[in-house]
Amino acid sequence: MSGNGKAPMVAVEGVKKVYRRDAEEVKVLDGLSLEVPEGDFVALMGPSGSGKTTLLNLIAGIDRPTAGKVVVAGTDVAQLGESELARWRSRNVGFIFQFYNLIPVLTAEENVALPLLLTSLSKKERRERALTALKVVGLAERSQHYPRQLSGGQEQRVAIARAIVADPKVLVADEPTGDLDSKSAEEILALMETLNRDFGKTIVMVTHDPRAAQRAHTQHHLEKGVLSL
Amino acid sequence: MKYLPYVLKHLRRNWIRTGSTVMAMAVCIFLFCTLQTIIAAVNYGLKSASASRLVTRHSVSLVYNMPLAYKERIAQIPGVKRVAISNWFGGVMGLPPDFTKFFANFAVEPEDYLAIYPEYVLSDAEKQAFFADRRGAIVGPELAKRFGWSVGSTVQLESTIPPYRIGRPFEFVISGIYQVDEVRYPGTDGRLFFFHHKYLEESTRNRAGAGTFSIEVNDPERAAAVGKAIDAYFENSDVRTKTETEAAFRAGFVSLAGNLALLLNGIGIAVTFTILLVTANTMSMAVRERRTEIAVLKTLGFGSELVMALILVEALILGVMGGGLGLVLGKAMIGVLPSLPLIGDVARAFPNLGLSPLIAATGFGIAVFLGLAAGLLPALQAYRARITDTLRTV
Ligand SMILES: Nc1ncnc2c1ncn2[C@@H]1O[C@H](COP(=O)(O)OP(=O)(O)OP(=O)(O)O)[C@@H](O)[C@H]1O
Ligand SMILES: [Mg+2]
Repeated sequence: MSGNGKAPMVAVEGVKKVYRRDAEEVKVLDGLSLEVPEGDFVALMGPSGSGKTTLLNLIAGIDRPTAGKVVVAGTDVAQLGESELARWRSRNVGFIFQFYNLIPVLTAEENVALPLLLTSLSKKERRERALTALKVVGLAERSQHYPRQLSGGQEQRVAIARAIVADPKVLVADEPTGDLDSKSAEEILALMETLNRDFGKTIVMVTHDPRAAQRAHTQHHLEKGVLSL
Repeated sequence: MKYLPYVLKHLRRNWIRTGSTVMAMAVCIFLFCTLQTIIAAVNYGLKSASASRLVTRHSVSLVYNMPLAYKERIAQIPGVKRVAISNWFGGVMGLPPDFTKFFANFAVEPEDYLAIYPEYVLSDAEKQAFFADRRGAIVGPELAKRFGWSVGSTVQLESTIPPYRIGRPFEFVISGIYQVDEVRYPGTDGRLFFFHHKYLEESTRNRAGAGTFSIEVNDPERAAAVGKAIDAYFENSDVRTKTETEAAFRAGFVSLAGNLALLLNGIGIAVTFTILLVTANTMSMAVRERRTEIAVLKTLGFGSELVMALILVEALILGVMGGGLGLVLGKAMIGVLPSLPLIGDVARAFPNLGLSPLIAATGFGIAVFLGLAAGLLPALQAYRARITDTLRTV
């Protein structure tokens, strides 16, 4: 386990993931192990199809391993049932997607407040927290705008506000800058650094962009389902 | 409830789709209510019809009247117990006529008519008061309630039928309000208005004639034979007659009530089914467009049941709105039905028209059911959708 005796935020142990397509089996992850200490900022790199998204999904609790153990924030994810897992995700994991995935019919503020609907907070508290999160990403004045009224970079910042609004311990990001120009990408990476440094979020980020990977503290390379440094 | 704004936003954002679906559903419910009300009215009218009574009319059409003298001749035909003249007056209140206040009114021969129709229950005192006053009228309890009439109230009616138009309204004084006994005489119409045929004759200087003859027979078993005998008697006269049992007469009035109901119900079912398909298509389109969004919701921790419920609620709201609008339209339509050309003539023969709570509730229920049924499949799809399958295609 980790050297300093403290349990890591993410512990992946001997994980296998096999997809079955008709009779054919696709081994995506093959006995993979990985530890991410609390407060780390990790970049996952590797060629297309190497299993990066698959690994990230396992860590985030939206998929389950074929074999092995995935412990995140002290919870063995594979042990949870479908709806327990959903509840667990809403409290422990923040999601940042390549294509932002904001809900087009909702304003920025409503998008950000969406995860809070699952809590027992009052309407007023939900609003306040959403506005605070929008302030953190520097878009408080855009709270009433709809996604189509925002640039890609702004949309991604709203998505980041949504990811942090419920104050999860872990943020997962799948190519968060993959769809952005370099200036916007730079802003997003700076924001993620801030979240990691000042807010203590543990971040696992998949990226193809070496410059983005450079911003992380630790880099892992995936190659045919196993890690290499 | 905190999820409601989310659902409403979807409906609002796609307002064209929402609007057209709601409209389609409303038309369906509107049709249902109107058709069912017509069927109910027809059946109600038939229920009160007696088999021991015959109705004689002009052989060509109801709009032609027969000579008054026919009464005595009919009375002499064997098997006939009593005869009463009755004319559809078509009177309307107000100047100009206000068709929203329409009700059925007849000029009848008081003594004979009330003897043939015991279902219009009156005390002897009321009957005597009515018989004694040439301008007297008796009205149904529902009608009296509707217009706030009591004994002694005056009413002015002007006919819509040319021979009965005398350049000024007829004036009536209410001499009695008849009772309706639903146990002994089920289906009795409580919204009718009767006055003296003599008053009509005098005011029109004997141009009125006899619209129909209501006939009571001695033996109901022989009613059909007596009817034939009457028509045979006038076979070679200038004005020939057509005599039917009261039930057949009323059924004939709306032309084959049974087939009508079948036809109307058939149309109703076809329309409902079509709307179900339209709505189901709308909902599944709405959900298919939102595949990514549904996966995102699930990723954020929305349970499958919750996501399914959100879609069902959305469909339910469509149903509730469509049903509500349909009821409003239906109620309005049924209200104006009697004043429409052509249809109005039929509708007026059955003046107990009105959207009944039962039909309204059934219509609304159908709309809600339509919404839910249409939403069920897409909701199940959303329930089953797996995050990893969907977000991969982003
Ligand atoms: N649901 C699935 N069913 C079958 N095969 C799958 C499924 N999901 C992923 N795979 C396969 O698993 C392998 C790894 O996919 P994954 O998405 O994790 O790769 P990736 O490293 O994220 O690639 P990219 O950089 O292109 O996003 C691929 O070969 C893919 O075809
Ligand atoms: Mg990927």
